[in-house]
Amino acid sequence: MSSLELGFWSFPILLLMVFLRAPIGLAMLLCGFGGWYMAMGGNPVPLLAKLKSETYTTFSSYSLTIIPLFLLMGQFATLSGMSQALFRAAESFLGHRRGGVAMSAVGACAGFGAICGSSLATAATMSKVALPELKRYGYSGGFSTATLAAGGTLGILIPPSVILVIYAILTEQNIAKLFLAAFIPGILAALGYILTISLYVRLNPDTAGTRPRVPMGERFRALAECWPVLTIFLIVVGGIYAGWFTPTEGAAIGAAGTGLAALLSGSLNWSVVAESLLGTARTTAMIFFIVLGAGFYNGFLALSGVPQFMAEWVVAQGFSPIFVLCVILGFYLIFGCLMDSLSMILLTVPIFFPVITAMDFGMSTEHLAIWFGILVLIVVEVGLITPPVGMNLFIINSMDPETPITQTYRAVMYFVGSDIVRVILLVAFPAITLFLLPD
Amino acid sequence: MHRLIRTLAHLTALAGGVVLLALIVLTTLSIVGRSINKLLHHDFFDTTLTGFSQWVLDLGVGEINGSYELLEAGVAFAIFSFLPICQFYGSHATVDIFTSFLSNRTNRWIAAFWEIVLAAVLILIVLQLYGGMERYIRNGQTTLFLQFPIWWSYAASFAAGVVACITAVYCAGARLVEAARSRRVLPSEHGEH
Repeated sequence: MSSLELGFWSFPILLLMVFLRAPIGLAMLLCGFGGWYMAMGGNPVPLLAKLKSETYTTFSSYSLTIIPLFLLMGQFATLSGMSQALFRAAESFLGHRRGGVAMSAVGACAGFGAICGSSLATAATMSKVALPELKRYGYSGGFSTATLAAGGTLGILIPPSVILVIYAILTEQNIAKLFLAAFIPGILAALGYILTISLYVRLNPDTAGTRPRVPMGERFRALAECWPVLTIFLIVVGGIYAGWFTPTEGAAIGAAGTGLAALLSGSLNWSVVAESLLGTARTTAMIFFIVLGAGFYNGFLALSGVPQFMAEWVVAQGFSPIFVLCVILGFYLIFGCLMDSLSMILLTVPIFFPVITAMDFGMSTEHLAIWFGILVLIVVEVGLITPPVGMNLFIINSMDPETPITQTYRAVMYFVGSDIVRVILLVAFPAITLFLLPD
Repeated sequence: MHRLIRTLAHLTALAGGVVLLALIVLTTLSIVGRSINKLLHHDFFDTTLTGFSQWVLDLGVGEINGSYELLEAGVAFAIFSFLPICQFYGSHATVDIFTSFLSNRTNRWIAAFWEIVLAAVLILIVLQLYGGMERYIRNGQTTLFLQFPIWWSYAASFAAGVVACITAVYCAGARLVEAARSRRVLPSEHGEH
């Protein structure tokens, strides 16, 4: 069998293993190992030699060290009381409107997303703060949980973002530019969700209560309480962008900053610190195991020539670039409902990226890479809130045992709709994503 | 046995976590030092406050030498030491939707099967890591700035890797018991990301 055939055969085998509930990282490792072994004509020596250094090299990769650092930063942010401050501030400005408490939850999620690079952490943290308030002002269960599940995706859309880091490494793009490009789409997402809420409460008037107006002075006092969030965000993302430090160093500073904020808020003690370290440990190990597997598998795929073959084949068919882009995004929307976003990105970007860059979208390769990255980021995140298996839905729903998950499903479809409208907008107008970037 | 492995996994993860915290402090100090150093080399300090800025610079305020190297070696150790706890709590990412139609019993056997494969793969990885370490012991290569032997970092990672293998073997056994006797032994939670 030729390497190319081996490469193509590896897809169904990998999928079969994954659908039989193999840990995704393990399935990729096995396919990678098997592929290398067979492509070398049944000689295990090159594979074993590769294994001697590959694991250590992957785990010690300077650009990947950013991941545990951002994860720990998110853990500390959760402890720092910043989620409460953000929610109080957002609530004092928006709370009295129709659906205002839900809008505040979205606003606070957006703020929290600026110091947390993870979707589930954002959703879980904000739920602790916002769910009781939503209940208190008579918001229906399904509407509340759906809002928070959707709001949680802002954690990853608004930089810093763990997924964007992985995309940047896979495609050799500049992390700072990707963060900058994600900013406007992230804000658009928050605005879209707020509009969705206002539409939802007009269509379903009995799902939201009212809350008294807060005087102006108090609003600004509440806003001033959020200064640590703004400071940390500006130092980390601003510093990375201005080139004061590398993204990894920025993540270290961010972790130190949120750690300090947590310390000052008085909520830190040894058991809490240990808890955040263990949480970071579990997630980090899970991510790196997938990254390791993807490294082997993608190495084998590149060797087999599948990505190049695919790119040439698609170009030879003469499809229009936009058509190809839409097919790929559609694929992500569907698969995103089954698989977690990180595995999706690691598995598919090495194949789709050469296809996309082989087509002429009338922009530079760098802009194309960034635009595509932001689009992929958004569509895989939609998967987090798409019934029946969206992860955010489960996390939030488990925090509100009184609400049946079917109610969450029904309400969240409005937010999925808002996501799809945003994706269409971003596809139609690349400038929304790209205009902040320098030439 | 169960408690022993659990404690081992927790302690190893905490060791990795403490290293991670230390690296954060180190990196932050290094950047602060570098920024002050840059600032002092700025015209204003160079010309008007020469004595003062020279005094501070002589104290050695600046980037910490080799902080990149320590970061890389430390994070590698941290990640290896995070593996056991990920293993113990079954935090690896999976796709559950297609197997959710199968019976509990079948699912337990599937889990046991993959856990055994996972343990075997981890053992292979850690064995080869040992091979990598031997190579660096033989050629005596050191890092660029701090000049410490590269095999030290491999050794630290290998030690954590051994714990990961022990945990993986225990988990594989535990999953087999779960499958054969249809009862829960291991905690199960999904990691987040």
